[in-house]
Amino acid sequence: MRNRVREQRTQQGLSQAELASALGVSRQTVISIESGRYLPSLPLAFAIARFFGMTVDKMFDPDQEADSC
Amino acid sequence: MLTFIRPGLRKPAVSALAGLVFAAAWLVRGGPLWWISIMAVIATAVRVISLYRLGTQDTDEGALAGSRADERQTLVGLRSRALACNIAAVASFIGLTAAIAGRANWWWPFLVILAVTGFGYLFGLSSYGSGEPD
Repeated sequence: MRNRVREQRTQQGLSQAELASALGVSRQTVISIESGRYLPSLPLAFAIARFFGMTVDKMFDPDQEADSC
Repeated sequence: MLTFIRPGLRKPAVSALAGLVFAAAWLVRGGPLWWISIMAVIATAVRVISLYRLGTQDTDEGALAGSRADERQTLVGLRSRALACNIAAVASFIGLTAAIAGRANWWWPFLVILAVTGFGYLFGLSSYGSGEPD
């Protein structure tokens, strides 16, 4: 599942650590979500989408493969 | 559980308690091997300090050791524990069958471990929702 977390984070000039702190998760989890290795729970997905002012379906696209890095 | 202890000290405290109980067992047993209790205390101290230091690190293992894991790290910890239980069950089954085949009289500890893991699994199923009514 592809997501736009990295794109939105870099657009807002945030580091992974800053985003992690804002969401109340670890930096490693933000890295895992951005790379598509971890699919967040529904509450965390909503928190991410809300943080960037987007809807969950705009932030996470189930029809596309995750970016590999 | 253990919420009265600061998160970073919870796992080291449990480890310290287990190590001291183990050391006390050797001391109570007495005999020529009583000195193992001293070795156990030293090993426990090293482990407790290592756990505390690991808990301060900015890694997944550090978050688990420091009792501050987020949802993904908790999931990683749960899957690791599930794997450990699977390995323990398989190892105890192999030990049980080997002991029976070899006519050894130490087969029953393997049976106890196998029974406890099996019971733990069933208890987990009933505790975590498989028995929920439709």
